[in-house]
Amino acid sequence: MGRTLPSITQAFLQEQASFNRFRRALRQSDQRILDDLFASAHQHLAAAAYAAHPLPFETFLLAMLLEEHKRLMRLEALLNDLQGDDLSLEE
Amino acid sequence: MNELRGWLLDIYPEAQVGAALWLIGEDGQRYHLRQPFPVTFYAAGRASTLRRLWRYLQSHPAQPVLKREERQDIFVKSMRTVLAIDVNDPVAQNALFQEIARAFPDLDYFDADVALPLRYAARHRLFPLAYCRVGVDANGQAQTVEPLDTPWDLSPAPPPLRILYMELDADPARNKPTRLSLRSGSFHGPATAEYHLDLDLERPLLINLKAILQRCDPDLLLTTWGDTWLLPHLLERSAALGLPLPLNRDPARQPAHHPEISYFSYGQMVHRGRQVHLFGRCHIDRGNAMMWEDYDLEGALETARVTGLPLQTAARVSPGSGISAMQMVTALREGILVPWHKQQAEQPKTALDLLATDQGGLVYQPLVGLHHDVGGIDFVSMYPGIMVRFNISPETVQGQRPCIQDLEPFASENDLPGLIPLTLAPLLEKRLALKNQLIDLPKWDPRRKIYQARASAHKWLLVTCFGYLGYKNARFGRIEAHEAVTAYGREALLRAKEAAEGLGFTVLHLYVDGLWVKKPDAKEPADFQPLLEEVCRRTGLPISLDGIYDWIAFLPSRVDARVPVANRYFGVFRDGTLKVRGIEARRRDAPPFIAKTQMEMVELLAQGHTPDERQAGVRKALGLLRRRLNRLRSGKTPLEELVVSQRLSREIEAYKSLSPVARSLQQLQAVGKEVRPGQRVRFVYTRGRPGVYAWDLPTPPDARTLDLERYAVLLLRAACTVLEPFGLNPQLIAGLAQNVQTQQLCFKLVPRNERQRREPAVRTAMTTRSRGVSERGTIPD
Repeated sequence: MGRTLPSITQAFLQEQASFNRFRRALRQSDQRILDDLFASAHQHLAAAAYAAHPLPFETFLLAMLLEEHKRLMRLEALLNDLQGDDLSLEE
Repeated sequence: MNELRGWLLDIYPEAQVGAALWLIGEDGQRYHLRQPFPVTFYAAGRASTLRRLWRYLQSHPAQPVLKREERQDIFVKSMRTVLAIDVNDPVAQNALFQEIARAFPDLDYFDADVALPLRYAARHRLFPLAYCRVGVDANGQAQTVEPLDTPWDLSPAPPPLRILYMELDADPARNKPTRLSLRSGSFHGPATAEYHLDLDLERPLLINLKAILQRCDPDLLLTTWGDTWLLPHLLERSAALGLPLPLNRDPARQPAHHPEISYFSYGQMVHRGRQVHLFGRCHIDRGNAMMWEDYDLEGALETARVTGLPLQTAARVSPGSGISAMQMVTALREGILVPWHKQQAEQPKTALDLLATDQGGLVYQPLVGLHHDVGGIDFVSMYPGIMVRFNISPETVQGQRPCIQDLEPFASENDLPGLIPLTLAPLLEKRLALKNQLIDLPKWDPRRKIYQARASAHKWLLVTCFGYLGYKNARFGRIEAHEAVTAYGREALLRAKEAAEGLGFTVLHLYVDGLWVKKPDAKEPADFQPLLEEVCRRTGLPISLDGIYDWIAFLPSRVDARVPVANRYFGVFRDGTLKVRGIEARRRDAPPFIAKTQMEMVELLAQGHTPDERQAGVRKALGLLRRRLNRLRSGKTPLEELVVSQRLSREIEAYKSLSPVARSLQQLQAVGKEVRPGQRVRFVYTRGRPGVYAWDLPTPPDARTLDLERYAVLLLRAACTVLEPFGLNPQLIAGLAQNVQTQQLCFKLVPRNERQRREPAVRTAMTTRSRGVSERGTIPD
C-alpha cells in the first residue's frame, strides 16, 4: 500500500522464501527444524525493524542465534539444578 | 440598525451578494441574512506569464482588483511574489478562478478553492453553531458580526435546534419501503409530534409532508437512507407530480446532489453513498455519516464547531477533511498561502536515509499467554502531542535535522510554532480538559455522554492529522514531517521501555503509544505511579495509566502458534471493563451469533478474582458453549444472527478465485442489485453449491439449507481463541462436537512437546467437568 520499502514482515517473508529450494531439499525432519529457526527469528521482528539494517538477514540470523543461546542457557540452568551445585558444567 | 443574537446554522455563497447566513435567533425566529463577502485569491509563477494574466484580467467583465504582493508559501523558505486578485463575491471568484486556471495552467494558485464557510471562519472567527451577535440594517444585510463564544469552550450554550426525524420501515436496498415515520422534537428533548405517512399514496404523502415541514419548520432533517434513497425519491416524485416540496428553507435554491464514491483509505476500500445537501436547513443521513456510530449528533456538532465546516458537510466527511479544513483556517488567519494543487514532491533521499526514516510506529511481539496484574500504560494523544511539543510542521522540518535521540524540538524561524502545532494545540488542550472533567463526573451525570461524544470527535481529528501529514495530496502534507513524528514516537516508546525495565517491570508488549508491564507485587495504581513519573521525565510527554488488568491474554497467530501477533488480545480491568482486540467478538465480519457467544464467554471468564473463581468461570464458559452449540445444531438460532457481512474489496472482475463474498455478489448481480467496492455484502453459508446465499436477495434463504456444520466449526474456533489461554486445548473443544476434527479448529503447528506440556493443565482444569467431555478431550488425535 504505497510503501517505498518492504515492511520488516515482508522482508522477513522474502528472505524465508529465498531459501525455499534449500528447504525443499532437506529431510522433512530437518525442514521442521529450519521452520523453527525462522519462527524464533520472527519473535524479534520489532527490534529488526528498529535496527533498519541494510542487510536484514544478518539481523534475522542474530535473532535466531539469540533464541538458540537463550534455550542453551535455560537448559544449562536446568541441568545445574538436576545435577546439584557440586557438578558445574564448566568442569 | 437592529441587533440580533443567536446561533449560526448555515452559511453558503450567494451570487452578487456574498454570503447567505441562517441564524437561529434567541427569540425563536429563523433569520435569512445576507452579507457582502469579497474574496481574494493569488496566482504565482513566471513573471512573464503573470504579466499576461494581469493584462487578461484588466479587461475582464468581472472587474477584479489586482495587486502585486509578497506572501508566505509554506513550502518555500522565502516570501513569494504573487498577483492578488480581489473579487466581489465568492460565486464570481469561483467562476473566474476556473476560467483562468484553464487559460493559464502553468501558474500556481493559492487560496483559490477554499470553501466560503472556512474563509468566513478565518475572517470573522465565526463557525457553525457559534453563538454570536449580528448587526442588521433595514435591508436584512448583516453589517457587523461578532462571535460570543469560541470553538474551545467546554460547555457552549446548546443551540435550540428543531429536529425532524424521518425513518423508513425497510432498508430500500433490500425491500421497497412502504411507510415513512416522522417525529419532530428538539435536541435532547422529547418528541412533540409524530406522523406516519404511506409512501405509496404519493399525492397525500407530498401534501402532508409539505404541511408538516411548514408547521414544524425544522432546522435539521435527521434521516435514515435519506441520502441514498428517501430524499432523491421524494424530490423525484414531487417533480413528476408537480407538487412542490419545500425541503430547503431558501426558496431560491434547489437541493444539491453529490454523487457516490468508492476510494481506498488505510488499506480498506471505503464507500460513501450519494448525498443530498439542503440550503437554510441541514440534512444528515445517519447511515451515510462517516463516524456516526462513534459519536452521534453531538459529535457531528462538535466536529462542525471545531473544524468550521458546515454541519451537513462535517457529519459526512472523513475526519481527514476535517483536519484539513482546520489547517486551512489557521493558514488563512496567519497569512500563509493555501496551495490549490501542491507542487512539492518528496525530496530525493539516499537508500540508507530511506532505510533509516521510512518506518512506522514501534510494534512489538507480545509475550504470548495469560498474564495477571498487568498495567496498561498509554501516552496521551501521542502523535499530536509530539507534533505540538516538538514543533513538527511541513515548514519546520525543511532542511533541519534535530537530534531525535535527544528529543530536541524543531526550531522555527520566528520562534513561533509551525502551522500544524498552531492548529492542533487548542484542540489537544480541549480534549485533555474534557477528559479531565470526565474523570471527575459521576457515572449518572448526563454531561458524561456529551463529553464522551465530543472527546471522540476530537480523537478522530487528532488521529487523522498524523496520516494527513504524510499524505502527498494533502495541502499541508510533507512526508518528512510524518517520518519525524514516528521517529520521535519510537524514541519515546523505547525510553518508556527502558524506564520500565529500570524499575524492575517486565515489558509484556509495546504498541506504538502504549505498553503493558507487570512486576511481582505491583497491583495497585500507586505501584505504577513512579513508572509514569519516570516516563514523563524521560520523554516530556504526558502518559497515563489506562488501567490495571486482572488478567490479559496475548494471542498467537492463527496460522502459526509459535508466532505472536501484535493486535490480538483480550483482558479484563480491575473494575470489570473488558478490553478485546482482533478476535471474532470485535470483527464486523463475524456472524453476530458467534461474536456474541464469544463475547459472553469472555464475560464469564472475566468473573472472579481468585484462581478458584476463575476456574468456575472457565466451566461456565464451556457450559455456555455447549448450550449454544446445541441450539445451533437444533436450528433454533435466528437466521439474521448467522449473517456474515464482508466488505467488498474490489470489483468482481478483479477477484482471482471466487470467494464466498464474490459468489454472493454474483447472486445479487443476477437479480440486478449492484454493490460497490467498499460496501458490505451480507450472506449466509449454505450446504452444497455455491455454498452461500446472499442475504439481500428478494426471497430470504431457506433455513433448511443452512450449512450448520460450518457455523459449528466457526463457533468452536472462536471458542478456542478465548479458552486456549486458560489451558484448554483444541482437542478438548473439538470433542464437544462430533464430526469436527481438531485440525479444523487450529491450522496451527502446535509443537508436540508443547501439546504434551499443556495436557495436564487441562486435566486439572477439567476435573469437575462431566466425564464424557474430559475423556473425549484427552483422546490423542
